[in-house]
Amino acid sequence: MKFWEIGKRNLKEIYRNPVLLGFLLGMPVAFMLVFCAAAGGGQASPIALSIVDEDGSQTSSAFVQYLGSVEAIELNEPIYSEKSQAQEDLEDGRISFYLFIPSGFQEAKQAQQTVNLELVYKAADPMIGLQLKPIIEAVGSEFLGVAPPLNVELKVTESKIKNMAVNFYFPGIAIFGLMILISTAAEIIAGDREKGFLARMFTTPARPWDFILGYSLPFIPVLIISTLIYLGVGMGLGLTVVGNLGYAFLIFFLIGLCSIGIGMIVGSLVKSESQAGISWIFIVPMAMISGAWFTVERMPSAIKSVAGVLPFIHAIDASRAVINGSSFSAIMLDFYWLVGWAVVLFAVGIVLFRRTMVS
Amino acid sequence: MNAVQTFKLTKEFDGLVAVNGVDLEIKKGELFSLLGPNGAGKTTTIRMLCCLLKPTRGTASILGYDVVKTPFAVKNLIGVSPQDTILSERLNCRENLALIGKVHGLSSNEVERRSKELLETMGLTERSKDQVRKFSGGMKRRLSIAMALVSNPQVLFLDEPTLGLDPQARRTIWEYVAGLKGKKTILLTTHYMEEADSLSDRIGIIDEGKVVALGTSQELKTNVFKMRNMVVSTGNLTAEVIADLHNKYSRVAMTKGELKISHKDLDFKEIVDYLHSRGITVYSAALEQPTLEDVFIQITGKKLRD
Repeated sequence: MKFWEIGKRNLKEIYRNPVLLGFLLGMPVAFMLVFCAAAGGGQASPIALSIVDEDGSQTSSAFVQYLGSVEAIELNEPIYSEKSQAQEDLEDGRISFYLFIPSGFQEAKQAQQTVNLELVYKAADPMIGLQLKPIIEAVGSEFLGVAPPLNVELKVTESKIKNMAVNFYFPGIAIFGLMILISTAAEIIAGDREKGFLARMFTTPARPWDFILGYSLPFIPVLIISTLIYLGVGMGLGLTVVGNLGYAFLIFFLIGLCSIGIGMIVGSLVKSESQAGISWIFIVPMAMISGAWFTVERMPSAIKSVAGVLPFIHAIDASRAVINGSSFSAIMLDFYWLVGWAVVLFAVGIVLFRRTMVS
Repeated sequence: MNAVQTFKLTKEFDGLVAVNGVDLEIKKGELFSLLGPNGAGKTTTIRMLCCLLKPTRGTASILGYDVVKTPFAVKNLIGVSPQDTILSERLNCRENLALIGKVHGLSSNEVERRSKELLETMGLTERSKDQVRKFSGGMKRRLSIAMALVSNPQVLFLDEPTLGLDPQARRTIWEYVAGLKGKKTILLTTHYMEEADSLSDRIGIIDEGKVVALGTSQELKTNVFKMRNMVVSTGNLTAEVIADLHNKYSRVAMTKGELKISHKDLDFKEIVDYLHSRGITVYSAALEQPTLEDVFIQITGKKLRD
C-alpha cells in the first residue's frame, strides 16, 4: 500500500497548509454565492417603468396607480408630465424606457374610443418592448374594460422548481468549480517535482500507479466536501432537487475524478508549479464550450462536436437532468462516458508518470 | 560481488558529456568518496546509480542488479540522501521517516523502532513532533540522512551530505557517517577534501566527467607526490653543510632561515642526526604532508573549488 503512504503525506501537506485548504474549500462557497446571486439567484425583479402622464386627468392618474399595483411593474418616480423631459432622460441613459399617456386619454376612455399609448424604448434594448407590450396591453384592457377579441385564460401552476435560473446555472457553476481541481492537482505535483521531492521518492520502490493514486487520494475528501458545499449553498440559494440527489452527487464525483486525472496529466508534463498554471488555458474554454455558464444550443456545430467528446458537457447535462427530476436511465450514456473518461485519464496519467520517473 | 560496479558509465546531455566512461568497483562495506569540483559529474553519477537517469552508454549494477534493467530491485536496496535537503516540509520527523520506511515496505513497528533509533542518533528526538519547515539547515540535513537510512539499505548514497553546513553541524554528520563504516556500503560525493580524506576507505577523484585518480588517501598522495618534503628551521647553517645536502638529496632550498629538503625516500631522523653531527642548531623540523587539494591540483592543474 505504497500509494496509501504517499496519499497520507499529500493529505497532510494539504490540510496543514491553511492557504491551500482555504482556497480549495472556500472557493466553492464564494463561487456559488457570486454566480448564483449574479445570475438571478433571488426572485425575478419587477420591471422599472417610467411614465409620462400628459393627460394629467383623474382617469390617467388612476391608470398609473393601476399599473403600479401590477406585481411585474415598479413605477419610477417622479411621473413626467412633459414627454420631452422623459425623452431627454432616455437619450442620456438615465432611464431605459417610458410609457407615454397622451392628452385626451380620459376623453377617449369615456367616449369608448381607441386609446393610444406609446411605449418608447431604446433600439439597443428590444427585449424590453417585447416583454412590456403584452403586460401593458393586458393591464390596459382590464383597466379600460375593453374586451379583447380573444380571451386567453392564463393559468398559473406551481412548479416543483422554485427558481429556474438557479436550477439552470447551478450544475455548470459547480462543475466549473470542480474543474479547479485540475490546476490544484497539477500545481501540487509540479511543485513537488520542482522542489526535488518527487526525485527523492523516485529512488524508492514506489511504482508509477502508487504516485498517481497517492496524489489523487487526498483530493477525494476535498472533492466530497466541495460537492457537499456546492449542493448545500446551491439549495440555500434556491436550488430545487426534484430528482435523486445521490445521482447528482455521483455525477459531480465522477467529473471531479476526471478533473483530478487531467491534473495528474498536466502535473506529469510540466516541470514547475508556475508552468502548471497553463492548465487554465484549457479550463476556461472547456467550461465555456461545455455550457457551464450558458446554453450550448446556438454554438457552431464544430464546437458542439468538440464539447460532446469532452466529459464536462456530459456532466453538466446529466446533473442538470437528474436535479430536475430525470431518472438514472436517462443519463446512463453520460454516466458511462464519464466513467470511461476517468479510467482513460488515470491510465494516461500512469503512463506519463512512468516516463518522468527516469530521464 | 561488488556492492557497486560501473561499466564505462556515460551520460550526455544534448551532446555535453557530464559523465565520461566511469569504471568503479566499490566493495561491500566500503566507504567510497567521489571527490571533485562542482559540475565534475558526481551527482550525475549518483543519479544514474539511483535509477533517476538513464545512462547514455555503459551501465552499472548495485549488488548485481542492473540499474537500467532492474531499477525496482535496485531501489529496494538503496538509501539516498540527495544534495538538496528535500523533505516534506509540513510533516514532522517521524512522519517523514515513516513515509520513506513504509514505501520501502517496512511494518509500522519496524518503522517506529528504526525512527526512534535514528532520531536519537541524529539528536532529533526532542524536535521529532515539530513540522520540519521550522528546522535549521543542519537539522534538516541530519533528518535527510536518517531518511536515507530508515529502510536499513545495503547501499547508501550521500550526495554532498554536508554542503552548506557550519563546521559544527558538519562534524556531527562526519561522526555519524564514520560510525556507519563497515556496516553499510557508502558512496559519498563531496567537494570538501577534508571530508573525503577523513572518512573514506578509498577516494575517486573526478573531473570533467572522468575519474582521474583512484585509491586510498595515502596512495593518492604517495603516487602523485613521489618525493617527501621536510622543512627544518636552523640557526647556523654553513655553505659546506648546504653543499653536502645538495649532493645527497634531490632538492635543497633555503628560504627565510628555513631549509626545505625534498627526496623520494627521505629519512627524517637521518637528516636531523646529520645536522646535529655537524653542530647545526635545529629549532624545529617537520615533514610536509601533501593534501588531497595538492593531489587534485597536481592531477588536473586546477584548484578543487574552481
